[in-house]
Order: sequence, then C-alpha cells, then structure tokens
Amino acid sequence: MSDNSTADIKANDVLPSITFAPITRATLALYAGASGDHNLVHIDSDYAKKVGAPDVFAQGMLSFGYLAQVVTRWRGLKNLRSFGARFVSITHVHDVVHAAGVVSEVFEQDGERRARIALTATVQDGRTTLTGEAVVAL
Amino acid sequence: MSQEKSVNPLGIFKRESKGFSLPPVNVAIERGRLRFFSQVLGETDPIHTDLAAAREAGHPDIVAPPSFFMAVEALANEERERDGARPIFDIIGCDYGRLLHGDEHYTYHGSIYAGDELSYTTTIIDFQDKKGGLLEFALLNATLTHAERGVLVSVKRSLVHNLAGRESA
Repeated sequence: MSDNSTADIKANDVLPSITFAPITRATLALYAGASGDHNLVHIDSDYAKKVGAPDVFAQGMLSFGYLAQVVTRWRGLKNLRSFGARFVSITHVHDVVHAAGVVSEVFEQDGERRARIALTATVQDGRTTLTGEAVVAL
Repeated sequence: MSQEKSVNPLGIFKRESKGFSLPPVNVAIERGRLRFFSQVLGETDPIHTDLAAAREAGHPDIVAPPSFFMAVEALANEERERDGARPIFDIIGCDYGRLLHGDEHYTYHGSIYAGDELSYTTTIIDFQDKKGGLLEFALLNATLTHAERGVLVSVKRSLVHNLAGRESA
C-alpha cells in the first residue's frame, strides 16, 4: 500500500514523544500479573528492602513496552519490523517515563522502504533508563 | 568443567549449558490476558483491546503488543513447571540477587492473536565476560511459532550477573 505521507520522512526527523503517567505501586502489581513476571522485588517493598533495594522498582519490560509505543503510535503495529532495547538503569516507583525517538536512517530492505529509529526512555531527572532501536516500514 | 568457566573465576552462570535447547512448549494465548497486558501498558490502539475494532482492521482477533512475547515466555515457564521440568533460569544458573536485564531484541514476522496456539522454544547461545569479569552475560535466542503461519517472533536477549563484590566474598 502506498502512503504518500511517509515519502518525505528522513534522518533526524523527530517522532512524537510520549510521557507516561507516574509509575505507582499499583502499576507494578498490575504489570506483574499481566506479564507473568512475579519477581517480588517489583511488588513487595518488604522483600525489596530485605534484598538491599531502597524500595520496589519497575520491571524493565514495563518501560520496554512503553518505549515501543513511540513507534507503534506513529506507524502502527503492522509496520513494525523489529524492536529492541538495552536496559541502562533502574526505573523506580513514582518515576515518570518519557519515551522519545528520532529517525537515524532511511533505507531499502526486502523490497520496502524502511526507517531505523533510535529510541530512548528517560525519567523526570533526565536519567536514561533504556536505549532502543526499531525498524519500521514506511 | 568447561573451558569458559576457567576464563572467569567469578562467574556464576552454568557455562556447560551453552548450546542447550529447551524442548518446545505449547502456549495458548488467552484474549483476557492479552487485553489486560495491553491495558496495563496504556496501549491506545483498540486492536489490542477491542475485538470489534480488531476485526474492523482486518484481524481475526485482538492483537498482541510488541512486548507480549515476555508474557508468553512466562506462560511457557509455568507450563514447564507444571510438567516438572527445570526452569530455564535454573538451567542457566541465575542468581536473582545479582541478575540484571541486559537487552532484548525482537524481529517480527507476523502478528500474535488471541486464540493462537504457539510453540515456544529457547536456546542458550553463549556466555560472555565483560569489565574484567565483573559482568557476565548469558545470550539466549527464542522463537514463537504458529503451526500454519510459521515463526511470528524471533528474539535475541541477554541476562547479566553483576559480580562486583564477589571477588572478596
């Protein structure tokens, strides 16, 4: 399907960023149930303190799921070819995750025009929590 | 004792598990679970939560968001546990007190829908040492395959042990 609106997409274009609601203890409990990651360090502050963490902290895959939405809200799931991220630092309870992306290159592969997107998740104090990369069909 | 083990005397991962593949595990994708996962992530596209909207967009059922693989993997692990099989994290030798998430990279070949029966496989690819042995990495590959639609997602990921402090332990 041709999509004229993507014809002028080029390197350094900035995608619409997303700021998610502050991560609450309820968010962590619900994500534990939904994802099946029942690691207590994310949901039981007594346990977290016992193993030396100041408090519960977020599942890495929660921010991973947030970060992917920068790309899927922009181009839709059907155009997502690959997505990955590296976990750089811990996301704490009450953190506000800001997910952003920029086009790093536009190229041809498997007979379609594609964009590579450099992605970052940061929290309210500017600390980077994830760096990622996605490839989307244009 | 494998050769890699001697490279990093601080290492905890069971290096002898390199090359091990888990037997495939079948996982049923439930609509309610998929919708719940999508809602918790704040997915805004109704194809992830609303059956009518998904069908309107040409899908047979609601569609999994890009990170849903991890929920399928958790279900596969529970399935293995019920069968009395050893969890993958035991086979690799994970120490949860030192375990960190390294990275995850997913390549998409097709969508996952509610109602799908998928086959999950994972293979322990390699172990690596970094920062003079203070970090050790386990590299894993995994796939989710549908009997008719083929491989839907292929995954490369790493798990990390932070070994700092272990030299004096």
